[in-house]
Parts: sequence; C-alpha cells; structure tokens
Amino acid sequence: MRCTGDIEVRDLEELAINIDPIQAGGRLTAEAMKAIIAYGDGYSVCDNCRKPFRLDHIKKPPLDAFHRDLARFVGMDEARVMPGARRGFQAVADTYVGKGDPVLLTALSHYTSFLAVEGVGGIPREIPKDGQNIITADAASSRIEEVTREFGRPPALLFIDHFDYQFGNEHQVREIARAASSYDVKVLYNGAYTVGILPVDGGGLGVDFVVGSGHKSMASPAPSGLLATTREHAQELFRTTQAKGDITGRAFGVKEVELLGCTLMGATIMGMMASFPRVAERVKRWDEELANGRIVIEALRSIEGTTVLSEIPRRHTLTRVDTRNSFDRVAETHKKRGYFFTGALSEKGIGGVIPGATRVWKFNTYGLTTRQCEYLASAFTDIARENGIPVT
Amino acid sequence: MTKKAVDAVFKGLFTLTDIRVLLRRTAPLHELSGEDRSSVQKNLADLREQIRILEEELLR
Repeated sequence: MRCTGDIEVRDLEELAINIDPIQAGGRLTAEAMKAIIAYGDGYSVCDNCRKPFRLDHIKKPPLDAFHRDLARFVGMDEARVMPGARRGFQAVADTYVGKGDPVLLTALSHYTSFLAVEGVGGIPREIPKDGQNIITADAASSRIEEVTREFGRPPALLFIDHFDYQFGNEHQVREIARAASSYDVKVLYNGAYTVGILPVDGGGLGVDFVVGSGHKSMASPAPSGLLATTREHAQELFRTTQAKGDITGRAFGVKEVELLGCTLMGATIMGMMASFPRVAERVKRWDEELANGRIVIEALRSIEGTTVLSEIPRRHTLTRVDTRNSFDRVAETHKKRGYFFTGALSEKGIGGVIPGATRVWKFNTYGLTTRQCEYLASAFTDIARENGIPVT
Repeated sequence: MTKKAVDAVFKGLFTLTDIRVLLRRTAPLHELSGEDRSSVQKNLADLREQIRILEEELLR
C-alpha cells in the first residue's frame, strides 16, 4: 500500500512488534497522531502568534504553558523546544565553548556531542568507561584534573549521558555533577534515553543543562527535543539578538540567537505537546517497563551461548546482547546465513533488528505491553529451539 | 458553510487513529480482548455517524 506516488505506507508498528533500539520511546501517542492530522501544515502554530512574536509566547495553542511545563518536568527553571537533542548540545557548546577549549565527553558519548564540540573549535577529551562499561565519578574527576593540567584551565563543559545509547547502562550522573561542580565545570545532562520515559530531576541531580529528545523518548515526531537550564544560565543560553542591519537599521526583537528565533513551528511541537500529558504520566510507570523488559532478558539469557552485554540487573529497556555463540553459530551453516535470524523474527511479526545481525545487537522493549513482551520472549526461545540451540 | 462536514472529517480521522493505535498495541496477532472489541464497536459506530453527516452535508 502507498501513501502516494512511490511513498509506501509505514505500517511496521501496526503489523509487528518493533524492537528497534532508537525508535521505541518516540512512538506516537494517539493524541500526537491526532494533533498532527490537524496541524500538519507548515507554520500551523503561528495562526495566533502575536507580539513579541516568539514560539514560547504563543497562547493559542498554549505553547507558552507547555514551555513552563517542560521546565518543571525536568526540574529546571527554563526550557525551550529544539529540533532534536543534538541541537541542544550545539546551543550549549556555542554558548560556553570557545575555540581551543577542552570539553569532556565520555567513552560512550553519542557522536552528535562530539560534532557539537567540533563545530565551535573545542577539543574533545573522553572520560573512560570502567570494566563494566560505566562512567564513574572517580574517572570523571581524574580526567578533569588531567585536562586541567594539559590545557592550563578546566574543561569548559562536561557531557554526561544518564543512560548511554550503546549499552543502556546507567552512569553516575549525580556524583559526576557533584565532582564537576567542585572544579567549576558546567555539566550537560544528556537525557536522550531518559527524559520522557523515566523521571528526571535536573535540579536535584545538580546539572546545569538538561537535553532531551522528543523523537527518541517523548512520543514525538522528529526532529524534536528540549533544552532546559537554570535561571542563571538561561540569561546566557537563551540570550536575545542584538543584531541590527547597517543599511535598514532593522532589529529583531526578542528572537533568541541559539534557537535562530523559533524552532518547532508546526507538527513537531504539536505532536510533542499533545503527547506530553501521557508522557508525564508514563514516566511514573518506569518500573513496569523494566519488569516487561526483564521477561525478554530472561528468555534471552536462557538461550545457551547468549550473553547480555549491558549491566545486570537491567535499569533500562535498551539492551545490548551478544549472540555470537548462539544464533551466529547457526548462521555459519544456515542457507540464509545471518539473515535466518531476522527472517525468523520477521515471520513471527517482530521487526527492528538490523537485517543479518546475529553477533552483537541491541533492542528496546520500551512501550510494549506485557503480552507483547511475553510473545517476544517466546519468539526468541522458539527460534533457538527450532535451530537446535539448547534453552534452559 | 460546512463546518459540520469539516468536524465530521476530523472526528472520523481521529476515530480511525484510535483503531490504528489499538492495532499497534495488539500487534502482531491482533487478538482483541472483550474490552478491545467493545471499543472497536464504538469506534465503528462513530465512524458510520461521521459518514452519515458527510453524506448529509456534502451530497444533499
């Protein structure tokens, strides 16, 4: 079936259980789908934009209140919507990192945080992970001291993921923020895999900036996200333009420089806002999500030769597994080679694993019902048994 | 002025959206519980009503 022309309908979510690690938290709510139907046209939220002509001041639809809600939601004073978490990284780096300034990232940081630093001429330095793939406060402190010695000044900024995208492991955010603060280093909390799926209190954690992803974890269309900060930093981060045309003398009111004025002017913010009440509720049910995830984890661990590479017990629904000694062994002699596994999953109505993957791969059970997780768990063990892999 | 027709279009699309979300929640087998079936019946009745309104407003 096609939407139009050569554009096929995307019906993966309707026909299958999708365990793609980056797509789970961004699946839309019914409310977001409905808002998008009504607000799909370009600048659709601008019908009632009045002075001072800025997105976070629009009252109808109530975007002004939504911005305040977002700040409260992550325990910060001020928030803005951004076209993805990466643009939040970029805004913070643009504001606080100068050319040649060192910036601390981690061995598990997302590439977009590196690019944000690179874009302003900052010098990335990594905090190493430990043997369990955790970023610790001790490692952060050591690296702050090393970098300070190397550059003669402390890092301009430190990026820390609460949960990383590679393992879905939890890192010592609170302790790292405390350590960084003692060296007067600003901390950016990357909540791409937390804001919108589990409770986040940036103020309580002691971080300077909270970045979230709408399309990754807030049941919103892409590109969407949020950037939140303290009242003190908001003056710098959300500074308004001082530019003036030298011929025309034009000035540009209260437009914010790092946001290039307004950011999400239509379907994206409306989807985000429409989902928000459910998102604010669902973070309270994180334990249920973890319990559902454990059903699948235990099934995978019961398959001989399968190892969970992420920390155990799981504290997140995104998990990295190693099936080199189970499904990959089958692939060595199977006529479909590596495609036998994803083919078998597909036949059972399961999608989201990279086609051909049988070695190390990731999945995410976020948002699935208990029944769907039980089905998924059975599918993994059934495929193992069907291919002669013992299941204990 | 066919505001009634416009409202019927949106209501119909929203009702279809509710059915779409149910399909997602029950994928891949789409085995519906008693509660699910009741909600689909209600949705279908609502859809029929929106179609009736559209016929009345646009084809009279």
